[in-house]
This record gives sequence, C-alpha cells and structure tokens, in this order.
Amino acid sequence: MKKTLTLTDILITIVIAFIFSVIYKLWGPLYSFVGILGLHVDQLIYGMWFMAATVAFLIIRKPGIALLAELAAAQGEFLFGGQWGISLLLYGLIQGLGCELIFAMYRYKSYRLYVTCLAAIGAAIGSLLLDVFYGYIDSLALWNLTLLIVARLVGSILITGVFAYYLVEALDKTGVTKAIRPVSNDDYQRLEDEMR
Amino acid sequence: MSISVSYQPTWLHQINPSFKLLTLTALFIGLLFVHNPNFLLYMITGIAVLYLFGTGHRWKVIGLLAIPLTIIFLSSSTTMIFFGEGEQTWFKFGLIHITEESFYRGIHLGLRSMVFGLLSLLFALTTRPVYLFYSTMQQLKLKPKYAYSFMAAIRMLPIIVEEFQTLRQALKVRGVQYSKGVKGMYEKVKLYAIPLLAQSIRRAHRIAVAMEAKQFSKNNKRTFYYHLGYTNKDLLFFFILVVWLIISYVCSNQFTVFPVEYVR
Repeated sequence: MKKTLTLTDILITIVIAFIFSVIYKLWGPLYSFVGILGLHVDQLIYGMWFMAATVAFLIIRKPGIALLAELAAAQGEFLFGGQWGISLLLYGLIQGLGCELIFAMYRYKSYRLYVTCLAAIGAAIGSLLLDVFYGYIDSLALWNLTLLIVARLVGSILITGVFAYYLVEALDKTGVTKAIRPVSNDDYQRLEDEMR
Repeated sequence: MSISVSYQPTWLHQINPSFKLLTLTALFIGLLFVHNPNFLLYMITGIAVLYLFGTGHRWKVIGLLAIPLTIIFLSSSTTMIFFGEGEQTWFKFGLIHITEESFYRGIHLGLRSMVFGLLSLLFALTTRPVYLFYSTMQQLKLKPKYAYSFMAAIRMLPIIVEEFQTLRQALKVRGVQYSKGVKGMYEKVKLYAIPLLAQSIRRAHRIAVAMEAKQFSKNNKRTFYYHLGYTNKDLLFFFILVVWLIISYVCSNQFTVFPVEYVR
C-alpha cells in the first residue's frame, strides 16, 4: 500500500473540500442571522465544516488526507471572500489535526461508522480549544456554554460522522471510489483467484 | 476572488503573496493574545483606511463586501453580551443577563472579528490566487503537486457550479417532489451531493492523471511561468504594520475610549 500522497489523491481531496466549502458558503449566511440570537442553533450545522475531512478520508483512505481536506476547505471559503478569512486557516489546521489524530489511533485502517464519529468529536474538540482563545467561550454563563458544546458535538456527530459515512457509502455504489482507493489485500487476493 | 472584477493594481498587489500571508497569519496569532478593546479599535481605524483606499477596487465592490462585516460584528458579540459571565449587572430579563464585564468582552470579540475580517478582505482583494500558489512554491518551497492541485481545483469550480444548475433544472423538469421537513432536506442533499461529488471525483481523477503524465508533480529543477521575488514594497508593508501597531498601543494607553483595559 503506497502511503505517500500522489497528485491524484491531492487533487481529488481538494476538489471534495471545495465542494463542501461552496455548500457551507451557501447556507452559512442564513445561520449567522440565527447566531445573533446567541442560542447556538448555528452550532448544529458547524459539523458541515469537518465533513470534508471525514468524507475525503473515507474515500481516499490515506494518512494526511483529513488534514489536507480541512485546510483546503478553509482556503476554499477564504478564496470565495469568506469574511472569517485567515482565522479559518488556523481553525482548519486544528480541526484537521483533531480528525487526523483519531484516524491515526486506528492506524488509518478502520473505516467504520464509530471511528468516523470519533473523528467528528476530535475535530469538534479542536475547534472548541481554539474558541477558548478566539471567542472566550469559557467566559460564557455555564448553561450557555453547555448548550454550545452539546449543540456542536451533536451537530458534528450527526453531520461529520453519520451523514458523511452514509454519503460515502452511497458514493461507493456509483463505483467512482474504486478507481482512486489504494488497492487492498483483498484486491490482490481476488486477482490471484482469477488467475488460477 | 478577483477574477472577473476590474480593479486598479496598487502597491498592495505587488507585495510578495507568501510574505503577505505569513505576516497576516503572525498578526492573527498575536491578536489572539490582545485583551484590550481600545487597542483593537485603533487597529481597525488604520486597517479600514487601507481597505477603503488601498485595494484599488471600485467603491461598489468595497461597499458590498463590507456589509457582512456588520453582521459578523453582531453575531460574534451578542452571545457574549447577553449570556457572558460578570459581576456588575446592567440588565436582567429571563435568561438574558447583561453585565458590564460581559458587555465589553462582547464588544471586544466583535471588534476582533472585524479586524480579522478586514485583514482577510484586504488580502483576498489584493492577491491573485495564481500568484499566491506560485509564490508558495518559490518562496515557501511548497511541493508543486500541492500548489498545482489547488490551482487546478480552483479552475474546476465554475464547472461544478454549472453542473449544479443543470442538475437543478433536470430535477425540476422531471418534477421531483420532496417530503416535508428534515426528511425532505436529506433527500435534497442526497439528490444533489452524490451526482455532484461522483462527477467531480471522476473529473478530478482524469485531470490528475493527465497532470501526472505531464510531470506536474515533479519536484526538482522545475521552471516557473511566473517569477515572484521580494521587493521593497514588502518592507514598506511590514514597516507600516509595525508603526501602526506601535501607534495603536500608545493611543490605547493614552486615549481610552472604553473604560476597560482587560476583558479576559
């Protein structure tokens, strides 16, 4: 199994990330209005951000993909004139590292639903850490802070974990993922069986 | 993204893109440790002048892009103002509890988002993505396969948007009905996301194979179509930033606007 990223892996990851940043850009503004109320409804879709990482990883299944996808999604929104701008790059970096850490714990070999959900939590924790510096969230009233954390975690598990998992499963059915995944031992086995 | 928008290049356009990116990133990280709203207020005035008069874009563009900044100011400050912790109560109604501390902390957060937003707009309006990636290859030694992938992906975006519109029309012509509520949203996302993703992955794969065949992933001894180096404009930019930081610091100590100096 070739571990280094080829140009093909990189380009596909970036394109996936860009698609997600377009989606986020389209429905993001709607939710920043809701955000003014301060009741964290917007946090429920925060997971959309990390989704690029899990989807790209589940498709390409190589180390470094999750991090690259997050950085590219941040860069993508930045290029479309996202007002959050360069701070996004910092968020992308730390969220990507959160995902990457979980996948690395399973040695990049597990692609199951619960691992995807764990990666979602990893990314959410990363973003919360940066929020302590950027948004002083630790100085919110306790009930409000709890609401924020719960909303973000639930949102990330549902969107980044569950939804991403089933999305890739549906993509598998189209056959498009076959061409780009690294060959597994199963594939070699099947080839040998055929040769016989 | 300044592709089809006409503008007059200014000295800000001539700064080395990697240098600009690194300087601004350093500034961002530094600002995370600033807890004095007065300082941020003075920073904003300086950056706003650069944004208004330095980008060389038309007033319409500058004005339109500035509108979301107000929303961002509100959305990042209100949560803290209404629900932040504090001692000196100003107003209390149900869950809403505004205190002196939380009010100024909220204002500080709003100002910080504005500084970040203005700087990002300044960067986005004065940097061509192509130059940014060429410069990261030349000055920051980013591997060409990453830089060229980014550039190829940017060029694919219009195709994706076009595909999205075709898809929408096709679904409309076929009279697709969605269920109500969350289920309908799920159906919608699925009907759009899967064809879009599948098609884009296929296209990206084809393009990547072609790019590899043409040695876009080659690392050593490559030549570049655009050459980017450092100029004295970089020094000027750095100098202006440092001077303005010092002025903001002095002003924030001498002429305080907000009666607090530390909001943490």
